[in-house]
Amino acid sequence: MNSLLNINDLHKIYDSGTHALRGINLDVKEGEFLILLGLSGSGKSTLLRCINRLIEPTSGEIIFQKRNIVKTSGKALRTIRRQIGMIFQQFNLIKNLSALTNVLTGKLGYVNLVHSLGMTKIKEDVITAEKNLDRVGLLEFKSQKTRNLSGGQQQRVAIARALMQNPRLILADEPVASLDPATADSVMKYLGELNKNDNITVICSLHFLSLARKYGTRVVALKDGQIVFDGSPREIDERKFKDIYGEEAEEVEIR
Amino acid sequence: MKKDEINIKSALQGLVIDLLFWSYLWGCLYYLAHNWLGLILNYKYLIMLAMFSSGLFYLTGDSIGRKYFFPSHLTSRKWFKTLWGWLIIFSLLITFVVGWDIVEINPYKFFTKFKNAGGITSGIFDPSIIGYELQTESLEKLAEQNLPEEIIEELKKISGRKYTTRKVFSRELEKRLDPAAYDKYKQPILKSAIKNTEMLNKALTTLAETIFLALLATVLAIPLAFILSFFAARNLMPKTFLGNTIYVLIRTVATIFRSIEAIVWAIIFSVWVGIGPFAGMLALMIHSVAALTKLYSEQIENIDSGPVEAVRATGASTLQIWIFAVIPQIISPYLAFTIYRWDINVRMATIVGFVGGGGIGLLLLQQQQLLRWHNVGLIIWLIAAVVWSMDMISAKVRAKLSEM
Ligand SMILES: Nc1ncnc2c1ncn2[C@@H]1O[C@H](COP(=O)(O)OP(=O)(O)OP(=O)(O)O)[C@@H](O)[C@H]1O
Ligand SMILES: [Mg+2]
Repeated sequence: MNSLLNINDLHKIYDSGTHALRGINLDVKEGEFLILLGLSGSGKSTLLRCINRLIEPTSGEIIFQKRNIVKTSGKALRTIRRQIGMIFQQFNLIKNLSALTNVLTGKLGYVNLVHSLGMTKIKEDVITAEKNLDRVGLLEFKSQKTRNLSGGQQQRVAIARALMQNPRLILADEPVASLDPATADSVMKYLGELNKNDNITVICSLHFLSLARKYGTRVVALKDGQIVFDGSPREIDERKFKDIYGEEAEEVEIR
Repeated sequence: MKKDEINIKSALQGLVIDLLFWSYLWGCLYYLAHNWLGLILNYKYLIMLAMFSSGLFYLTGDSIGRKYFFPSHLTSRKWFKTLWGWLIIFSLLITFVVGWDIVEINPYKFFTKFKNAGGITSGIFDPSIIGYELQTESLEKLAEQNLPEEIIEELKKISGRKYTTRKVFSRELEKRLDPAAYDKYKQPILKSAIKNTEMLNKALTTLAETIFLALLATVLAIPLAFILSFFAARNLMPKTFLGNTIYVLIRTVATIFRSIEAIVWAIIFSVWVGIGPFAGMLALMIHSVAALTKLYSEQIENIDSGPVEAVRATGASTLQIWIFAVIPQIISPYLAFTIYRWDINVRMATIVGFVGGGGIGLLLLQQQQLLRWHNVGLIIWLIAAVVWSMDMISAKVRAKLSEM
């Protein structure tokens, strides 16, 4: 399989002095559903945010489609970003705008300023946005302000927004951490479906091993900013789990 | 870092604090001695006295400066068992006494000179809505009604004079006519008098001037403050030298401009563009721009950064991020602040009028100087009504906005 994303010796040292990533090497293949595991503070968010440069890596390279993301800026960076969707734990929707408008913002990387101002009136864009909302089963909520939607619904709007980008890769940073187990599973289902049907590569950080086993094709575990495990979800047994999460950890089953 | 490491710098700082304290204390004492006992002393001696006593004080180990910089050098006695404790109490007392003297507080006047405020009080209870005056035709009308000749003669003396209210006019008649005649002819005289609403018209016109002045100052300030606020928001400005410089510059200028009261701006502009509403508008506008820039940019700094990141992650440009992730989050607090500002500006507009900013404030000043208390009363009522209704409206609108 072709490699989609190639991370070489990536380091991140925050201004506070925290060395959050210590030499990450990772080769992500097209079509993978990669689960990032690791204790709180192990550097999962830092890694995900370095990939689309929401934070600046300190050194190393990130090759995406033959370009080093670390070296790009301005328009070129935005062209890369628009191909990488991002899902957040807190959904990060613009709460007093409608679901449809939120989905439309996924298009911003493709259009100029004037176009974006009229987006809610442009038929073609609206139809695409409605199609994406329909995929996550929320078409009937299109004119609702997203602050009035439930957590699970908000996260699905966020997925539709990412879809609007027509992405090659989706980064999901604990997408289900603030949802109840049943809702969490349904949100993960949508991500799994995109991964299978649209061949969108997914990198998703999680805290639940059960979800990792169910949806992941590969698991990478971080500890103190380093990769301590890289393999298939089935390979994670009691021993490996304790390596990642520490001796006291107990696996919590959900569903 | 150990707090009570002995070093020259802290020792000097402690000494300076003591010196300032004693200079203040001796200054206050001298002020009282000078005002009450007529004592005259050269400042040189005062300074020497302060230096001497602070030096002595510092050596006792019971000094304020030492307490501040070397806390552990002091014994752990309760404050009321120490010299510095009692000195601070004493200095607070003496500050109060000096303050009392400087402000010329005089409870006696407060309770005995109330009648000085009688003019304004009667003005407020009897505002001049309808003015009265006698004209030639009024006198002719009265002559037809067979009023005695001498009364007509008496009334001729006041023909043409303007009286601000019915009561004022009646009082004038009462003074000029004997009681019997007054009782008998009061009604026909009042009836034939010419009534006008001159003052009311004038007050309403200038009131409109004031409201529009405030409105325009607010409206013109909005776009300026709106644009400036984006550059004065820490989280939006890039952390480069240029970004930082712009941020600091705008913030500093806004703070300085805001700390200069609108009334001072009005004085400046009334000299610059001449007395009138334009000067008042400029004054309020400048002040509003500065105040709104601060409020707006603080609002931007408080927004949820999540949506901003999410929109940035889609590949949006900076301007698109502002439009789609920042503005929707700030629009309703912006509106609330703006309406509140208009509310403030309406109040300020009357005060600004006092110093040359035009509008009803100027009219109020003129009427007050002419001692036309009934006109003053009318103006005060009108201002109160406007301020009150602005207050209501703005509170209502802001409550609606906060639900959005
Ligand atoms: N903005 C920041 N400034 C300074 N240090 C940071 C910052 N963000 C994260 N860190 C530090 O970097 C380390 C990695 O944090 P990160 O957020 O990547 O962990 P995480 O694996 O995502 O944890 P969680 O599961 O709690 O989300 C932590 O020690 C954290 O304190
Ligand atoms: Mg995290």
